[in-house]
Amino acid sequence: MMKRIWPIATAVMMDSLRRKVVYVVLGFAALLVLAIPSLPDYGLGVESAVFREVALALSYVTGLVVVLSLAANRVPAELEKRTVYNVLAKGVSRWEYLVGTWLGILGVMAGAIVAFTAIEMVVGYFTYGELMWRLWEGALATWFEMGVVSAFAVAVSSVTGPVVVVTAALAALFIGHSRSTLLGGEGAMALRPFYPSLDAFNVVNPVAHGSGVPLVYMLSMVVVFVGFAGACLSVGVLLLSRRDL
Amino acid sequence: MADAAISVQGARKVYSTPGKPKRTAVSNVSIQVESGTIHGLLGPNGAGKTTTLKMLLGLVRPTGGTFEVLGMDSTRPSGRRRVGFLPEQPYFPVNLTARQAMRFYGSLGGVDAARIPERTTALLARVGLADAERTELSKFSRGMLQRLGIAQALLGDPEVVILDEPASGLDPVGQRDVRNLMLELRDRGVTVLLSSHQLSEVEAVCDQVTILNRGSVAAEGDINALLNVDGRTSVRAMNMAELPPQVVSVAEEIAVSGGMWVFSMPTEQTRAVVDAIDEAGGTIAAITPKRESLDDYFAALLAAHTEDVAS
Repeated sequence: MMKRIWPIATAVMMDSLRRKVVYVVLGFAALLVLAIPSLPDYGLGVESAVFREVALALSYVTGLVVVLSLAANRVPAELEKRTVYNVLAKGVSRWEYLVGTWLGILGVMAGAIVAFTAIEMVVGYFTYGELMWRLWEGALATWFEMGVVSAFAVAVSSVTGPVVVVTAALAALFIGHSRSTLLGGEGAMALRPFYPSLDAFNVVNPVAHGSGVPLVYMLSMVVVFVGFAGACLSVGVLLLSRRDL
Repeated sequence: MADAAISVQGARKVYSTPGKPKRTAVSNVSIQVESGTIHGLLGPNGAGKTTTLKMLLGLVRPTGGTFEVLGMDSTRPSGRRRVGFLPEQPYFPVNLTARQAMRFYGSLGGVDAARIPERTTALLARVGLADAERTELSKFSRGMLQRLGIAQALLGDPEVVILDEPASGLDPVGQRDVRNLMLELRDRGVTVLLSSHQLSEVEAVCDQVTILNRGSVAAEGDINALLNVDGRTSVRAMNMAELPPQVVSVAEEIAVSGGMWVFSMPTEQTRAVVDAIDEAGGTIAAITPKRESLDDYFAALLAAHTEDVAS
């Protein structure tokens, strides 16, 4: 099984590394990180917290742009150009193809987020003289959330084109972070456990202003990540398996 | 009948889109391909050839029918692991080099990683791409991509090879190479299912053919049996200024070129015609069963089939 999934994931990663969009987005975001310390009106003693908060936000947006640019078009392009024929004819299952594609995107995201967080660490150290290790907790949370977003995008992309994928992914993100807004009323409280909330990955406060993310919470994030990504990929596999290529 | 390497029984594919009438692409197709033979799949555009192949390879979900390759259900991935496939107009990730693409497909096909470089070199050389191993596929011509498609189909030494329009985009030399390659594969015991519009190619290499029209089988069988005209014999004779009167009275489709007479006649007249030519001092170069060209057979068959459907 992994014999077939791994080459697909590797191919996705190698292909992504050749795409200029990844480097352009990362480069632009890195410039913004360099510019964070120049933001005016920091309160005394909170400069580094503001830096961490803005850095996390930049990581998130950068990750989102990269993940959508990779995930939205990958499967539709392979189906349209029929490069997928050669893959599936080799005895690769559709689920192996989809999971391999997702893992490849996840790998690229890991590389991009690690690189980006390292830049933030360096800038933070030279600006505030502080090694901001907690940024890695935020990076992990961002990576988990982008993993879910990419699983959703890959699933939707198995039956539709990039524009719909991007729109659907952004809508899912909005819904995923709007539980308290949409279910805030007492009448809807009973629905909270069923709401597909992505708030579990929001660790801005403990990373930027608190004392970090507890280990137990980290483990619960893993469970949420596996659950959501697994559910999205399962739906994607079901959709793709019913499709005539 | 010998072992069937490929067996398609009652294949049927109906496309249904909500709000649109259902469209039957394949209504009832059965194909048996014997092991170690080259089997041609023919038909006009829209006959259902590619859809049948896609169902066989699990790319399209069949509405009905069974599909087996080497005794295994080929609609399941495990049933396709001993199959090599060349799609019509193959596409590849264009940012890979030929060598990288072969490594990718080799690893997907379960080829031992240590063997992939050696097999890649051999196969790329076999299809005429030895000098292009390290060239990015974005710089490949249509014909080069076709050759690469053939090479990747042969990675892992598959026991069954399915080729959809393998000569498409190739120059005459390339087409000849593909024909020779198919014959080589057959000599090694590999079963080849060939879908092609190139009737001369099919006629040159195939042992058996199945002809599809409008989603069903219009004719099938041994290609010689299909093309031989019952009861008629072709003769090629020379060293005669004119044909003897006894020959002229029974011969049809008489043609002469460069001193060689070519004509056909009823098979039961063979003895009399040979004697007449002998007596006239002529030399018989060949006597063979009269054979239609596949082009003529194909055209006549489709015309008859269309009339049947219309009536």
